[in-house]
Amino acid sequence: MTTDDRDTRRPSRADPEGPTDPTTERRLSMPAGGVLVAMLVCLLVWGVLYAPELKRSSEAQPDGLRRTVSLAILSPVVWVSDHVGLTAATDAAEQALGRDPDAAVGGTFDVPIEIDDIPTISPAPGDGNGNHGGGGHDGEKPPVKDTDIRVPTADDKLRVAVVGDSLAAGVGYYAERVFKAFFVDVVKQGQISTGLARPDYFNWPARMRYIVDSYRPDLTLVMIGENDNQSLQTPQGGLDTAIGTFEWAKAYEARVERFAKIATSHGGHVIWVGLPVQRDHARWEFIQRQNAIFEAVADRLPNVAYFDSWNAFANGDGDYTAYYRDGNQVELIRADDGIHFNGTGYAVLAEKVAELAASEFGLDPRTFGP
Amino acid sequence: MLFPTIDFAIFFILVFLGHWVLNHDARAWKLFMLAASYVFYAWWSWRYVFLLLGVSLIAQVSALAVSRQQDQARRMRVMAVGVAATLAPLLYFKYYGFFTVNVANASSSLGLGLSLPLIQVVLPVGVSFYTFMAISYVVDVYRRDFEISSWTDVFLYLSFFPHLVAGPIVRPSELIPQLDVRRDPRHVDVAGAAWLIMGGLFKKVVIANYLGTAIVDPLFGDPSRHSAPEAIVGLVAYAVQIYADFSGYTDIAIGLAKLLGFQFPQNFDRPYSARSVQEFWRRWHMTLSRWLRDYLYIPLGGNRKGKARTYVNLMLTMVLGGLWHGAAWHFVVWGGLHGAYLAVGQWKRERRAMGALAEPPETSTVLWGQRFMTFALVCIAWAFFRADSVATAMSLLGRALTGWGMASPLVTPAVVLAIAVGLATQFAPRRIGAAIKDRVAGLQPVTLGLTGAAILFVITSLGPRGVAPFIYFQF
Repeated sequence: MTTDDRDTRRPSRADPEGPTDPTTERRLSMPAGGVLVAMLVCLLVWGVLYAPELKRSSEAQPDGLRRTVSLAILSPVVWVSDHVGLTAATDAAEQALGRDPDAAVGGTFDVPIEIDDIPTISPAPGDGNGNHGGGGHDGEKPPVKDTDIRVPTADDKLRVAVVGDSLAAGVGYYAERVFKAFFVDVVKQGQISTGLARPDYFNWPARMRYIVDSYRPDLTLVMIGENDNQSLQTPQGGLDTAIGTFEWAKAYEARVERFAKIATSHGGHVIWVGLPVQRDHARWEFIQRQNAIFEAVADRLPNVAYFDSWNAFANGDGDYTAYYRDGNQVELIRADDGIHFNGTGYAVLAEKVAELAASEFGLDPRTFGP
Repeated sequence: MLFPTIDFAIFFILVFLGHWVLNHDARAWKLFMLAASYVFYAWWSWRYVFLLLGVSLIAQVSALAVSRQQDQARRMRVMAVGVAATLAPLLYFKYYGFFTVNVANASSSLGLGLSLPLIQVVLPVGVSFYTFMAISYVVDVYRRDFEISSWTDVFLYLSFFPHLVAGPIVRPSELIPQLDVRRDPRHVDVAGAAWLIMGGLFKKVVIANYLGTAIVDPLFGDPSRHSAPEAIVGLVAYAVQIYADFSGYTDIAIGLAKLLGFQFPQNFDRPYSARSVQEFWRRWHMTLSRWLRDYLYIPLGGNRKGKARTYVNLMLTMVLGGLWHGAAWHFVVWGGLHGAYLAVGQWKRERRAMGALAEPPETSTVLWGQRFMTFALVCIAWAFFRADSVATAMSLLGRALTGWGMASPLVTPAVVLAIAVGLATQFAPRRIGAAIKDRVAGLQPVTLGLTGAAILFVITSLGPRGVAPFIYFQF
């Protein structure tokens, strides 16, 4: 903005560093055919160099035509790349540039603990680590009574981890506002495009084990499942249980239970946040089935509680609403996509979860607040 | 369709091919480019296509109606109706939610019980940009600065994909005449285009995305947890992030247009080297600031109606500019702050003109002092722009003053390096760019393609995974 009223409505040059006279412009130019060749070479060579990464991104996509076509094109390219040593070379180049070639799409969100390495979890008897839907929820052991979360001090703060997919990433940021910094450290571990269905892409049980071993969270907020509307894979990339089969729900429940057990394995507590109501009704049935699984697992495991975010944010008719009424004030809480929350929504959600932790596990009320 | 995606790369190669094949046939070329632009837009949501069509239709009908009026007063009334009609969809999509929530809450506080339907209105991408361009067209026809154009030209002017979703805000006189120029396929400015596209990708994918995830997002998530060095460095990081993000997008848009033989207006010119806030606005989002000046500030009276009115006009223009970015109070504060900065600058200029205030000496110390002060003022305003509320911005600025003596884990050498690189682009000699373009121009097509692939590989490997949308897409 200028306060000068002079009419300067003439076009300005597009590129301050660009050529100004036609002679220079012609000297720096190329025929259109040559430009097309250059663009094609650029795209194809980059595609080959970046094929392992592109394949990984494609694997993160939900089942469908796009994923199938992408993988059909990229798999042979990657196979060749692997066998001629190009993948090793590009991985080394990526590492030299400071990136982990095996990390999840979207990167990590503020990782205060070292998680450069994902340890391999060896299957342990009875805890379902084998990814075959074995689970440990067969009622062999009676439920143990919930314990209380310890009372923190300023010198020995409560450790809260927020884990899961992009919804958890959002909760993580706003959980920091809800939990008081004086008493609570929050570790944000939300990873976009992840879930429990695809340990070949992102191994959440292994990551959770690492977080528990290295950070020992007193309370873990889990919000995951948005991307799990697909067949269950093994960590090696093989098919475990196909989507749409009778066995899927049972196998998924085993994964949920195994995950919750890992999260509570060192005496920690878990609030499992169910998936919220969404604008697109087409996904309702599946999500409600997932929520029923989350709730059932939380009901039978000690130190695990379920937060029903579906009903917490539905309107009076049980339908989707983007708004939330707090007393006599109305606030927009959902993002435009009808799936995620906006910042206000995540803060409201985090606060409700903290209140549930207080009522279920005796979380010290001094540790949180608006 | 986002620029830094494979979808777009394939789309662009096809469009590039069609563009040059149909170059000799103006009518076929326009229809092809119009179809391509609508496909580009429909990639987000096919429903938005109807909005783009609707705004284009309203603009052309309004301009035709204006052009048929001979009586000046009548002409003005028709133009006002046309502008209001063009603006109406934007007002609905952008401000309905803000308006209803504030009305509901104010009414509830007053015990009136008034409430409007609470609908979540999703803002269609690019609507703020092409609405402003549509208004330019109607007003320029009214002012007789520009003649009525054909329906195809107007629809293509508004939808042309390189500028469609986030500008630059191109005037009719800058683009529509270019639609009829047949380009010489022997001379495509590949060096200039490659420099802009690769540079834009580097700024967006490496600098902006890295700073966003490494410090800006965590800092603005909860400023109260962070130290003063984190708050200060994070604020500077955001200044660099938004510059790298938005100017990166614009550079790519201008570079793509160049490959098709089009010249777009410049949108950024080293804004953080400005010595005053007024100069900053001549260098930052230049096509928006000149739009605000020509279609808002000057019609409000500009500086022609006395001193007091000049200040009011400045403030009003900048507050409305803030609201254009988003329907939220923190954007109003951001605009208000810039309005206040500009008003103070105007007052100082007047005092200097009267001799009541001495001109500062032209020394390098003064020069860098002015640059530093301008940058600091702009950064303070950015706190309100980036924060999700006025309270969060105040919390951040508070931490910058009080949060000393704490650890600062977010301030890493990599963050400082990314900031330094981002700021260095403001002061790097222009001859560096010219020298690189000279080198590029000497390459054979295959060599150029291989070089581009290597650069692209480095850029994509340095950036975080996934595709973060451009910040300005939300506006």
